[in-house]
Amino acid sequence: MRSKLYLWILWAAILVILILFPHVVGIYYTNVVVLFSIFSLYAITLNLLLGYTGLLSFGHALFFGGGAYATAIALTHIPGLPLIPAVLIGGLTAVVLALITSPLLVRVSGTAFAMLTLAFGQLMYVICLKFRNITGGEDGVGGFPIPPFTIPGVVSIDMTNPTNYYYFALIVVGLSILVIWFFTKTPFGQIIIGVRDNAQRVSYMGFKVPHTKALVFIISGGFAGIAGACYALLQNLVSTDGVLVIYMSFLPIMMAFIGGIGSFFGPICGAAILTILDELITMYTERVELVTGLVFILVVMFVPAGFTGLLASIKEKLFIKSSDQGIMEQAS
Amino acid sequence: MDSTIAMYVAQFINGMAYGMLLFLVASGLTLIFGMMGILNIAHASFFMLSAYFCHTFLELTGSFWLALLLAPVVAAFFGILCERFLLRKIHAFGHIPELLITVGISLVILEGVKLFWGTEPFLVATPKTLQGFIWISDLKYPIYRVFIVGFAFFILGLMALVLYKTRLGMVVRAAVSDADMVNALGINVPLVFMLVFGIGTWLAGLAGVIITPILTVFPGMADQIGMDAFVVVVTGGFGSLIGAFIVSLCIGELNSFGIQFIPKLAPVLMFTFMAVVLAFKPTGFFGERE
Amino acid sequence: MKSAKKILLLTIIFSFLCLLSLPQAMAGRAAFDVHKMSDMSDFDPNNPDIYTGKDAIRIGLLQIFSGAGAGNGEIFWLTCNWIAHDINKRGGILVDGKKKKVVFIKGDTKGKPADCKKAAERLILKDKCQFLWGTSGSHLTNIISQVAKKYKVIHQNSLACSDYLMDAKNFSRYTFQTFTRNSIFGQGGAYYYAKRNKEKKFYILCQDYSFGHSLADEFKIGLKKYFPEAQIVGEDYHPLFAKDFAPYVTKIKASGAEVIFSGDWLPDGGNLLKTCRDMGVDLPILNIFVDEPNALHAVGVEKTKGLVNMNHYMADLRTPERQKFFKVWDNLWRTKWKKPYNTWLYKVCGGTIAECVYSTYWLMSVIERAGSTDPEKIIKVWEGDEYEHPFGVWKMRADDHTNVRDLFISEYVPPEEQKASMTIPPYYWFKGISSIGKIITIPSKYCTPTLDPALKGRASK
Repeated sequence: MRSKLYLWILWAAILVILILFPHVVGIYYTNVVVLFSIFSLYAITLNLLLGYTGLLSFGHALFFGGGAYATAIALTHIPGLPLIPAVLIGGLTAVVLALITSPLLVRVSGTAFAMLTLAFGQLMYVICLKFRNITGGEDGVGGFPIPPFTIPGVVSIDMTNPTNYYYFALIVVGLSILVIWFFTKTPFGQIIIGVRDNAQRVSYMGFKVPHTKALVFIISGGFAGIAGACYALLQNLVSTDGVLVIYMSFLPIMMAFIGGIGSFFGPICGAAILTILDELITMYTERVELVTGLVFILVVMFVPAGFTGLLASIKEKLFIKSSDQGIMEQAS
Repeated sequence: MDSTIAMYVAQFINGMAYGMLLFLVASGLTLIFGMMGILNIAHASFFMLSAYFCHTFLELTGSFWLALLLAPVVAAFFGILCERFLLRKIHAFGHIPELLITVGISLVILEGVKLFWGTEPFLVATPKTLQGFIWISDLKYPIYRVFIVGFAFFILGLMALVLYKTRLGMVVRAAVSDADMVNALGINVPLVFMLVFGIGTWLAGLAGVIITPILTVFPGMADQIGMDAFVVVVTGGFGSLIGAFIVSLCIGELNSFGIQFIPKLAPVLMFTFMAVVLAFKPTGFFGERE
Repeated sequence: MKSAKKILLLTIIFSFLCLLSLPQAMAGRAAFDVHKMSDMSDFDPNNPDIYTGKDAIRIGLLQIFSGAGAGNGEIFWLTCNWIAHDINKRGGILVDGKKKKVVFIKGDTKGKPADCKKAAERLILKDKCQFLWGTSGSHLTNIISQVAKKYKVIHQNSLACSDYLMDAKNFSRYTFQTFTRNSIFGQGGAYYYAKRNKEKKFYILCQDYSFGHSLADEFKIGLKKYFPEAQIVGEDYHPLFAKDFAPYVTKIKASGAEVIFSGDWLPDGGNLLKTCRDMGVDLPILNIFVDEPNALHAVGVEKTKGLVNMNHYMADLRTPERQKFFKVWDNLWRTKWKKPYNTWLYKVCGGTIAECVYSTYWLMSVIERAGSTDPEKIIKVWEGDEYEHPFGVWKMRADDHTNVRDLFISEYVPPEEQKASMTIPPYYWFKGISSIGKIITIPSKYCTPTLDPALKGRASK
């Protein structure tokens, strides 16, 4: 009972901090946090594939970038497009992309899955580079109007204001993460873990493995698309180098791994760690690559279970210690 | 020979030369993946490292042949160090840690290159003995590119010889299909793996030296060719030397004739090719492993 | 008698007035005076004196400082700190009634749009920069321009040359383009070949991104305008950092072209040159950025012959001012600068390096004359401004904030012929490569940067 109260207080404190944050730190760090929240969602969608279903995707940027481009292009060409539909267009485009690619992808797993996703991701990348008249080539799509958040007759909030957009992005990301969280708690969500651990058994139980995989793939892709749409609205600029490049496919894998792929919230920790790292590195050195590279090597060598794994093992050690003490006390 | 035909012949050799260069890089990568199951993102970085060593050896000695002999060996030495002290320790954890650590290694190499050689691009002259042209009917074609093709064939023959005619090759092939069994037979598998990793980086190193006279040595050259090599390995099938060879040629020709006929879409061709092949045969042309 | 006295008095008064107004007339055009330059002998780009005090003129230097492209950052870190060193040694600039020092603060664009935007915002919001400076790459410069507009900060576009940056859609009052524009290169290059009237068949090979396409378009417009009988026998766009130029060169060879037109910068430009010569194609290459001496040294005298370079800055050393600057720089390069600043690239303050030195002096002069860092006051001074530097006069066209200027073109010649432009001993620019020979100046009236009609008369409104 008491611990539950603490939990509520903790949550309330986090909420208050999140609400007050932009008023304390200024525009720059507000944007940093928005970016972090978008990447958290992105990394969680990847972990839905990787951690839950056991599918390693090397082309997740296909959905993130696809969503970002769709939103940007829609806002450029459809005058007066409201905010929420713009975000949904990003998500839907990613769903469509997932639908198109899933018939080929669900048949395979392991390295073949990784390679096929890589191929699709790269294909999208070069296509967006080459069809300059739609995507703007290297320049990308930028300077499109950012619609205000409107409830007709009630309110209209300007989204070019970083603080307002901060609240909007946090709500969208928060809601998306909640939906994914509940999804993993449903019976179906448990089946996908079964696909990871023992696909044959799931198949014997009467579930079609390819269909299950396809559904997870579509959900994961769709929310990655929403993350991409939020990214497009934040940057007011979408470019191949920013959203479709292969690094953007590696980034969520790194975030998930550093945070810990065994946990739902691990990728958020990973996103936070990488964001903070990025800020710190750029503040103190130009050798960004050196530090990032060394961090990767060290993490893999010494913290292979990721940040949440590290926490768990520390907790375990503490717990064992204290319980040992308890036994000692009892004995005496 | 008609001038149009001469152009096509030239394009064909261009494609061959580039394809063979790609094969040198990709053969090492496919060997490493086939034997050890390691997705080595840093492979192209060793290629770049060797190109830089080549530049330095050329500055010191002026002999291209000496550079061709030494630079890949030095690169392979660094490769072996990475295998022994980093990759071996995490091999049990699976693909993702390996991926992450090789990304880390590639970033460190990039930064190391910048620290030691600076950021300016280096152009390296074609070795004196290989300058000039040969006449194919009435087509005047540079000798060096023909040399690349010949050299790659030589290496392919050498590898086939080692893999199929020597004891080491037998052990390596056996270790690919069942490492545990080979280990149980009393063969030191980690040592074999280290050797294979060394040979793989040595091959990338060879490509790094061979390419310097036709491509600028600069810190971005690893990204330039790494993706192509990866595509070759994936499309050819992991671990398949013959697959890597055939796909390298295909991609070289696709590049040449793509530029000739549909220059706007030439870069799209390669990935379309890869996606189509994988869609029909997820293990690649000659791959059996997933 | 009386009238004579009156006339005398009037004459005296008049001549007195003349004397009074003399300095004003003389100061009609702002100029860079090399004799006023501080003693630069203690300038060390590896350890620049960076003013750390709080109250300073802060300029955000946006460039690539990390990753594979970090070499770009190195170059402009030198040029900008050269300016800061000089100005700060003179005591700074009088701004709002107080002499202030100049500081350049690095913003790492990493060559990527998202990082560029972040870096620009960081410079404004966190580092409190009053000015932004840069950068290479039109797509990145456009982003900086937008950020500068959003936060009302003056932005000097010192390095990007696509015309669309200053068209009606992208124009921003806060951005001033000091760099050359593609329409200058396109028209200037075409005019040069029209006057030569020898080679008529051109092959266009540019990089496949906005700059390459826009440059090629401008060259075609230029040819239509000055050289209608010229013929474009082929046109290709290769990906950035192309892996192999042989297929393109084979096409060029078969096309019967007499001149290759290319806007490639390094490493592509060097690879194109080398592949051409290695494959037996000795055609002249009309280029902008294949002037990097380090790369050319690896190719040698023979293979660099036939390059036709168009440049923002290129000049013989005929006047004492030019000679003085050359000697100050050359002496430092010879004796003081260490790696990476001791390579051929930094030997002569030429090309884009010189361009950035003088255009940054222009910004300093504008701040000095505005007596403020207030963007509105800067805009007022800079619009329509004229600035004289040792190699000519620049005009800032008020309508679209574009620098109207002459263009220089030269065919590269072996060392023994370089005395046509290098007029002091040892009478060659570089011994190991072909370099600038006779310099042709294309006056700005033949290569005026295109003005978007929608912006015409904007300034007077």
